Amino acid sequence: MIRSSSSLPPAEVSQALRESNQEVITAEPLDIVALLSNAHHPAAGAIVLFSGEVRDHNKGKEVAYLEYEAYPPLAVKMIHEILAEAREKWGLQLAIAQHRTGRLDVGGSAVAVITAAAHRREAYEANQHIIHRIKHEVPIWKCEYFSDGTHQWGNNCNC
Amino acid sequence: MRLFIMRIHVYAKLKDYFSPEFELETFAHNTDELKRCLLDINGQAGQLLDSCRFAVEEGFIDNEYKLKENDTVIIIPPSSGG
Repeated sequence: MIRSSSSLPPAEVSQALRESNQEVITAEPLDIVALLSNAHHPAAGAIVLFSGEVRDHNKGKEVAYLEYEAYPPLAVKMIHEILAEAREKWGLQLAIAQHRTGRLDVGGSAVAVITAAAHRREAYEANQHIIHRIKHEVPIWKCEYFSDGTHQWGNNCNC
Repeated sequence: MRLFIMRIHVYAKLKDYFSPEFELETFAHNTDELKRCLLDINGQAGQLLDSCRFAVEEGFIDNEYKLKENDTVIIIPPSSGG
């Protein structure tokens, strides 16, 4: 997925290292500002950042918090494959994704996707494609805990 | 046909029906047979099991995959990340 650094020009070496070193599944809070500050590229005129955040309601009920779980051996591999495919299809300079596990309170960021491209159309389209595939294909699951004490494993029929 | 043991890991809503991890002594040699074994344990999981994918280690498997002794089978409900 990431070519040998010896065959890459310096900017691409830097890109490959950034993309390979960041954890795509993490139990730690997502540092959106740090992710974005690390996502600049000299050939990119457009950077799109999507942050999927915990809202305080769903289907008429008040949401207290969410819990995410994942099967990391497969989830990490799939996210890397999705990012690689998007980089190739849209000619991106950068494609980064991180997804949380564990408990998230309202307002917390559950997933971040950053795409960098020469122009905005490619960056927007690729970003939407990546988050759509992560939500629907990658083995990550959300459980919503409501203020009334009930909980429900999520599905993505309302996304 | 002989009994053999495999490990089963389940996630998300499947944990309402099964332990998160357990050993199964079974004759099941493919995912369809494994589903029938799981329904014998908890028949209420049928609808959800029909929508699940199966994996061994880092790869999805289909019914053509021959389950074998000591496989750890991951049962994956529909994703709901994001």
